[in-house]
Amino acid sequence: MDDWSETKREGFTAVKLRTIRYFFKEAFVNLFRNGWMSLASIGAVASALIIFGSFLMISINFDYIAKNVESQVEITAYVEDSVDKLKINQIELGIKSIDGVKEVVFVSKEQALEEFKKQVGEELLEGIENPLPNSFRVKVETPQEVAGVAERIQKIDGIEEVKYGKGVVEKLFKITYWMRLVGLAVMAIFAAISVFIISNTIRITVFSRRREISIMKYIGATDWFVRWPFLIEGMMLGFTGSLIAIALLAAGYSYLYDMVKLNVPMIPLLHLEEFYDYSLGLLLMGTFLGAFGSGFSMRRFLRV
Amino acid sequence: MQHIIEMVGVSKIYPGGCVALRDINVKIEKGEFVFLVGPTGAGKSTFLKLLFREELPTRGQIFINGKNITRLKPKEVPYLRRRLGVVFQDFRLLPQKTVYENVAFAMEVIEASPREIRRRVPKVIEMVGLSHKMNSRPHELSGGEQQRAALARALVNNPDVIIADEPTGNLDPDTSWEIMKLLDEINKKGTTLIVATHAKELVDAMKKRVLQLEDGRLVRDEERGVYRCET
Repeated sequence: MDDWSETKREGFTAVKLRTIRYFFKEAFVNLFRNGWMSLASIGAVASALIIFGSFLMISINFDYIAKNVESQVEITAYVEDSVDKLKINQIELGIKSIDGVKEVVFVSKEQALEEFKKQVGEELLEGIENPLPNSFRVKVETPQEVAGVAERIQKIDGIEEVKYGKGVVEKLFKITYWMRLVGLAVMAIFAAISVFIISNTIRITVFSRRREISIMKYIGATDWFVRWPFLIEGMMLGFTGSLIAIALLAAGYSYLYDMVKLNVPMIPLLHLEEFYDYSLGLLLMGTFLGAFGSGFSMRRFLRV
Repeated sequence: MQHIIEMVGVSKIYPGGCVALRDINVKIEKGEFVFLVGPTGAGKSTFLKLLFREELPTRGQIFINGKNITRLKPKEVPYLRRRLGVVFQDFRLLPQKTVYENVAFAMEVIEASPREIRRRVPKVIEMVGLSHKMNSRPHELSGGEQQRAALARALVNNPDVIIADEPTGNLDPDTSWEIMKLLDEINKKGTTLIVATHAKELVDAMKKRVLQLEDGRLVRDEERGVYRCET
């Protein structure tokens, strides 16, 4: 008795492997048999994910820029050119005495020029007399205090101009919020379209094989034995679609990235590598869309 | 004695009110050969569909090998069907597969091992006398040969019962007779057979048990019966 169940179990695993091979073979045959519909399905998944992916990448970048700007929210106070060294020290003490000021850094004309050269490139500024003023960079305890502190610095004698980038940050965050929302909505629409097209593709396969399916069910095939090849077909459609989407997104992004870096180098952008994790997510999403689409069209046909 | 099939008070009313079977009580013993006769619409097909759980009875119980199949969960239905071989009037072979592949397919579906398949399939094909057409596709075969192939497929998993719905309905009289003789041979090897048919002469000649349905009722159950339907 024990021997019997032992051999039975061994046989079972061997059988399973072979059955899995059968499932994949069937799925591939179906895939190529209705080639045009398969292509349409792959295209639908790819476009859904490309659209979603671009919105995602743009919004993540906006987020990144916004955070960058936020972390740099500091007040720059430009000192009048006529002010001498001694007066500068007095001004520094004056700024430090304001409530809410966390840190004050003096940036001389020369330092400012060096930094600017780094950003823009040495050649551009060759032979030009330094046009930049002395300045203070002031960090505050909390972003909300920026406006008040800036106002008081402005009143200090010898300060020419005070700048801070508060409104910009808020605007950027607002933009990323809307980008996400629109991206999700558009993606939902395209996801629905891809599920629809995939389920139609699978339905054609299922329909053209309904005779075979009913024979299988009469012979005693389990529902899952019938179902797996179609699920795998759908998943392969989704998987291929998302691979295409990822490839196109990667190519498109690195092209744009180079363009931006070349023309507007001040804008901080995430490097392509930062999106590797997301591409795995897209792959899973595409595969899931495929499985969902095929599962959707299968239910009716199994009732024999 | 354990009955291989037993129906107790079985009625089937389809949604919409069409009554297909009324209060059927039947016992069929292991190894029997039973003809199911009656005019079209008398309930023969429903009778067979109830046996392999394509339909559930509205009332009553059906036992196969002592197991109440009306209580099977959907998950268990495939395993019931593996104990039954089904043969249809239109053969239902897969057109793109050869005779061998069609028969082997029935074993692949129930996940038999390849060794078992290679051993068993040629044997069964030989049993139905189709060895010379093993690698032909259905369209290259005559109707009788197609039905033999279908029979081989029904037999290959060693079912307890073979259920045949008008197996000779598409065949000429000579071929029908050959198929009947083949069914008789299969029956003599121990398989229980239930054959729904219109073929009067064959039923008369075979002298088997006859169940006659009329308007959903079992009106006759006769050992060594004749068709006697159109009276």
